[in-house]
Amino acid sequence: MNRLLVVRCPDLLDEDENGAALRSFVKVVDAVESYCPWITTVRPGICFLPARGPARYFGGEGPLARLVADAISDITTVEVGVADGLFAAVLAARSGLVVPAGGTPGFLAPFPVGILGRPELAELLARLGIRTVGDFAALPESHVLGRFGADGVACHLVAGGRSGELGDLCRPVAGRRVGQQRAVGRQAGAVVGEPGFWGGVSDTDARAGRALAAVQDLIGPDGVVTARLQGGRGPAQRARFTTWNAGESRVDTSLGAPWPGRIPSPAPAVVHPAPLLAELADAHGQPVSVSGRGLLTAVPRRLSVEQHPWSTVTAWAGPWPSDERWWSRSRRRGARLQAVTGSDAHLLLVERGRWWVEATYG
Amino acid sequence: MFVEYPTRPVFSGPGRERTEGYLALLAERTRPVSSSQTRLLPVLPPLVGLFPDGSLRRGSTIVVSGLTLAGGSDPSGGGISLALSLLAAASGAGSWCALVGLPGLGAVAAHDMGLDLERLAVVPHPGAAWAEVAAALIDGVDLVVLCPPFPPRPVMARRLVARTRERRAVLVVVPGRSGWPEHPDMHLSVSDMHWDGAGTGDGYLQRRRMTVTATGRRSAIRPRHHHLWMPSTTGTVEEADAGIDVAAQAVADPTART
Repeated sequence: MNRLLVVRCPDLLDEDENGAALRSFVKVVDAVESYCPWITTVRPGICFLPARGPARYFGGEGPLARLVADAISDITTVEVGVADGLFAAVLAARSGLVVPAGGTPGFLAPFPVGILGRPELAELLARLGIRTVGDFAALPESHVLGRFGADGVACHLVAGGRSGELGDLCRPVAGRRVGQQRAVGRQAGAVVGEPGFWGGVSDTDARAGRALAAVQDLIGPDGVVTARLQGGRGPAQRARFTTWNAGESRVDTSLGAPWPGRIPSPAPAVVHPAPLLAELADAHGQPVSVSGRGLLTAVPRRLSVEQHPWSTVTAWAGPWPSDERWWSRSRRRGARLQAVTGSDAHLLLVERGRWWVEATYG
Repeated sequence: MFVEYPTRPVFSGPGRERTEGYLALLAERTRPVSSSQTRLLPVLPPLVGLFPDGSLRRGSTIVVSGLTLAGGSDPSGGGISLALSLLAAASGAGSWCALVGLPGLGAVAAHDMGLDLERLAVVPHPGAAWAEVAAALIDGVDLVVLCPPFPPRPVMARRLVARTRERRAVLVVVPGRSGWPEHPDMHLSVSDMHWDGAGTGDGYLQRRRMTVTATGRRSAIRPRHHHLWMPSTTGTVEEADAGIDVAAQAVADPTART
């Protein structure tokens, strides 16, 4: 989550008839822009900028906040605050505080749950005896999902300081008009939760989320995983499994990069979580290995996986040498071989004279 | 200089069935998300012929049995690929899918087959609570693939089948060696698997040919055989012609030469 500096002008929050407030706010934004060009207007009277870079330049977040406040104090009354994420930073500005990095959950904890801007949620929580943001954050996420749905989870993530903002806080109420006047309006694009087809969390997603939360209750939160693809050579390296987490949006980003030495498509349907020990032998039952020059020492004829009876190798492809992390101490040298035994096909890996079944084309 | 394009889609001849399949798929894909109101869930065009409705009927249970060889170490024998292929079109159309009891999913293979990994939940080790886990998933997920880690008792199986019907989900069981005591709505079995591409050290595995036999209930009781490339060279499913591979098999078999 980003460190954000929020500028809040309490007198300019409401638009007046002749637009004087809006014009004053434009002056405020221009003044703040002299410290950082990446300024974003949230709504009339509130704008923010990423604090990290300017803070380093101006000698810390405290000095930066003072400089910004001084620059605006000629125009109107102003409140400046710094925290992790937009939601906390707006609250910090209201109190005129610089919340240190990592201190956001502790800063949010004593606020009443009503601060989250969900009256129904606040009322329900109050009836359950949960009155502060800290109490709400302490609830297990699967329970929050089961009872309050995806929006509840979005609030829960914000309450725990794990997400920067609520879905509707960053929606520019009239920020566009500020942008039109300045012609530089940049709108905050952060989205909390997983957007459905029409922008909201769809009914199907919410239903599936409840079912998965129920499974997590049965066998523990780590029991449900989702897969993400990433770059890599072997089939095991090309996918990463992470614990399923409601409200987290997952985007595959690393698919485009080419990986020289990758086993060509099609990919195996079963990738063994731990490789299975295998034996590969020639027609006389002698073990087959890969020489230092990357060639098989004999023609492979028989394969046994995990001490199972031998099966005949009817075709094979490779070996392809694989030399990974050759620059480091954890260097791994080996070779991969595709072996067909009748109708089965396996991807074998040989390392230090030992054969392993890495994946099966099941 | 100009390339002539057909101005109208051709709706006759041998391509017709496939065109209709693609159209059905397209119609299903243009929906925002598949709602539980629709009676059918789409399948990939090459699989349309396996099903009496041309798609997966909600509330039904399908048993997929792979080819198990004596001494074979692979518990699925093509069954996992076939099960994944059944999910692909529905997943692409917005349905959620879940896999229960498969510890080593090849995520790349699933992605290549057409599954949306963002809507795929995996429960690799459900343990003794596998039936409860499957039941909970049937409540909220459109398609559930179940590989029972232990042989299911008939009562358990019957309950899961009833729940699937009630919640209008689709349950795909890959029983492996555990077996499945209930008579399913549809039974798909794999036979005649053969890999293309690898020889004696040269080439690489390119595609697998398999025959899938579908038997159902009532009107679908007569077995239907389909020849498929699964996975194809791109990791998806394609239709294969009947009986062309005897010669290729002889070439690929090194023992035939000695």
